[in-house]
Amino acid sequence: MSTINAEERQAIRDSFHRLLAETGREADVRRAMATDSGFDPVLWRAIADMGILGLLIPADFGGIGAGAEEIELVMEEAGAALLCGPLMSSGVLAASLLSYSSDEHAKARLLPAIGSGERIATVAITGDRGLWTPTDVSVTAVRDGDGWRLDGVASFVTAGTQADTLLVIAKAGSGLATFEVDRGAAGVAVTALKSFDRGQRFARIVFASASGAPIEGANEAAIEKMLDLARVALAGEQAGATRHVFDMTVEYIKTRVQFGRPIGGFQAIKHMAADLLIEVESATSAARHAARALAEGMPDTEVLVSLAAFVCADAFSQIAATSIQMHGGIGFTAEHPAHLYLRRARADAQLFGNSSLYRERYLSALEKAA
Amino acid sequence: MTDEELRLEASEWLARNWDARARKSKYDPDGGLKGWLKQTFDARWSVLRWPEEWYGRGLPDEQAKIVEQEFARVGATGTGLDRSHLAANTLLTFGQDALKRELLPKFLTGQYTNCLLYSEPGAGSDLAALRARADRDGDRWLINGQKVWTSGAATADYGLLIARTDWDAPKHKGISFFFIPMKQKGIEVRPLHQITGDSHFSEVFLDNAVVPAGNLLGKENDGWKVLQTALAYERLVMGEGAGERRQGSSIDNKISLIAMAREAGCIDDPCIRQDIARALAYRQLNALNLQRAKAEMAQGTSSPIMSLGKLAMSRILHEDARVMTTILGASSVLDGAEHPRAADVNYRAFNAYMTSIGGGTDQIQRNIIGERVLGLPREVELNRDLPFRESLAVPKS
Repeated sequence: MSTINAEERQAIRDSFHRLLAETGREADVRRAMATDSGFDPVLWRAIADMGILGLLIPADFGGIGAGAEEIELVMEEAGAALLCGPLMSSGVLAASLLSYSSDEHAKARLLPAIGSGERIATVAITGDRGLWTPTDVSVTAVRDGDGWRLDGVASFVTAGTQADTLLVIAKAGSGLATFEVDRGAAGVAVTALKSFDRGQRFARIVFASASGAPIEGANEAAIEKMLDLARVALAGEQAGATRHVFDMTVEYIKTRVQFGRPIGGFQAIKHMAADLLIEVESATSAARHAARALAEGMPDTEVLVSLAAFVCADAFSQIAATSIQMHGGIGFTAEHPAHLYLRRARADAQLFGNSSLYRERYLSALEKAA
Repeated sequence: MTDEELRLEASEWLARNWDARARKSKYDPDGGLKGWLKQTFDARWSVLRWPEEWYGRGLPDEQAKIVEQEFARVGATGTGLDRSHLAANTLLTFGQDALKRELLPKFLTGQYTNCLLYSEPGAGSDLAALRARADRDGDRWLINGQKVWTSGAATADYGLLIARTDWDAPKHKGISFFFIPMKQKGIEVRPLHQITGDSHFSEVFLDNAVVPAGNLLGKENDGWKVLQTALAYERLVMGEGAGERRQGSSIDNKISLIAMAREAGCIDDPCIRQDIARALAYRQLNALNLQRAKAEMAQGTSSPIMSLGKLAMSRILHEDARVMTTILGASSVLDGAEHPRAADVNYRAFNAYMTSIGGGTDQIQRNIIGERVLGLPREVELNRDLPFRESLAVPKS
């Protein structure tokens, strides 16, 4: 449980905002996207120095020991700035899965370096179908003497080409378990997947008798907790991006003049903006309420996290898409940032499960509660 | 008077006069609302923020709230009318002294009720295009025209009326605001039948109806300004009440959509499940938005969310009805007491327009959100500065 109060939370957010306003501007984002690595190592270092990568890491392992509410707010800023790099993979997925495990050795060995940004880690979760459900795990682990051998495929691995350390979720016996695998190890073949969102680096990874070190206690329950946190973090990213794209669009329709007046004066445009404002506010409300429910372990956590998952994904997709239409010709040019957000929105809408899946999960949770 | 003295005075007075268990006055054998309102009025609890000269105590807002808390604590009504009574507030601000002396006590004690004579068949969203006319005739005004969407017209004692007094001025500048006595032979009230079968509203026909000159509020031709104040009170009252009702209703509907689908045997249909989830989400999001807005306002930040509520609610109600219709399927063609589910769903589908049209259509709401919240340029209004009689709103023979 996080001991950070609302003021401290806001201070973390503000300093992250300032950092991104200085060194994470559109030109910086485009530059990072064009590099092989896909992120700016200087900015990565600055993010680490600010403690952002250690937010979810317990203080015993060099982190800040924060929780869902803090990461949600930080991700709002990351989403608004279209941040590129393995923050979600290393700072959320890997950091939380390790923290939720009971493996004190692995924690001591991995978490401090993840928090300082020196080690980049990710979690390989899903198979080729990209469902992010337990049934879609396509890596199998079997005992081999003292160790374990992994076979199978993990796909859509986020930061898959950026990470040094892979935490691979695999079927082991009757359940799921997590294994630490070095990206360069024998029997690990990483193929970069060209991503429509130029700021993400997905990979497909084939394991052929690869050796893996089990992370004790990173079992189904821990994986599910990690995924809940990831859903809230992603919802925050989407909510922040949604608001940013909306503000950018409103600014444009106030200044773009056609037929002798700003186009925002035309009802055809004005009414689109009014409708979108409902989505913007709903996304923020959904993401923040989900974060609080998760942080406080409230009974309706599953309802609120599922709600945030599809509401924020749909809002971001809808606003990013509509923004291009509202910008008209300029929005169809590659030099305008609108398409960068639509690319991110389309990728984010698939991560950790799609909206239909979460609507179903939301309704099931409500039925259970009723 | 200190806060504590005031709290004490209120609580002691309530203890003497209000039966908290039975929720009625200790002294009124009928236990009626009017008797209680008379008691609170005589003891000067009704309109605490108003000046002493006008039945109030001239209290600052913080002190008035202390008294209101004491009343709320024992479940007593009869205070806070300086915030909630639309007609009385408008009258206090704009009325002539003699009229205030005559009518304020009657409104505040519930002896008189009132209705709103604003909309006309030709002036709905564009209220300033109204054509009801008021012509000066000695010490009185004669009113001719038609009003519509008036609730409570048949029983009201007074109507808050806007009518045109200058046809050569631009549309907003030739309107005056009156308190018209409703019980007179120049006024005919006909119930309006809604598409749902309900009759919540009336049409009001004014045929040489008479308004005494002293019943003009504000200056002649300055009625648009008076109306803005009256509308602001109305929105304040609606906004405060609406939030609570919306939150309260979210749970009922959650149960009913799921229960309906179970009863209809289609709860396992994946398409219907997606539909239900979407509809329930709209409702829950509205509640979460209001919750966040209240928290933000408590911290002193203004929130655009309050302006979104009505538009959001309209989507919720139409979407609920749509999903319920899908759940019922073919049964939704039925109606009547033997088919209560179908009758209910069909009623909801039609009644949803009450929210998406009444009190400003969704389209007008979108204009308001665009202009007042997002700061987009105002609609260009043709004829705005033209003498009204030359505008398109006036049919040319």
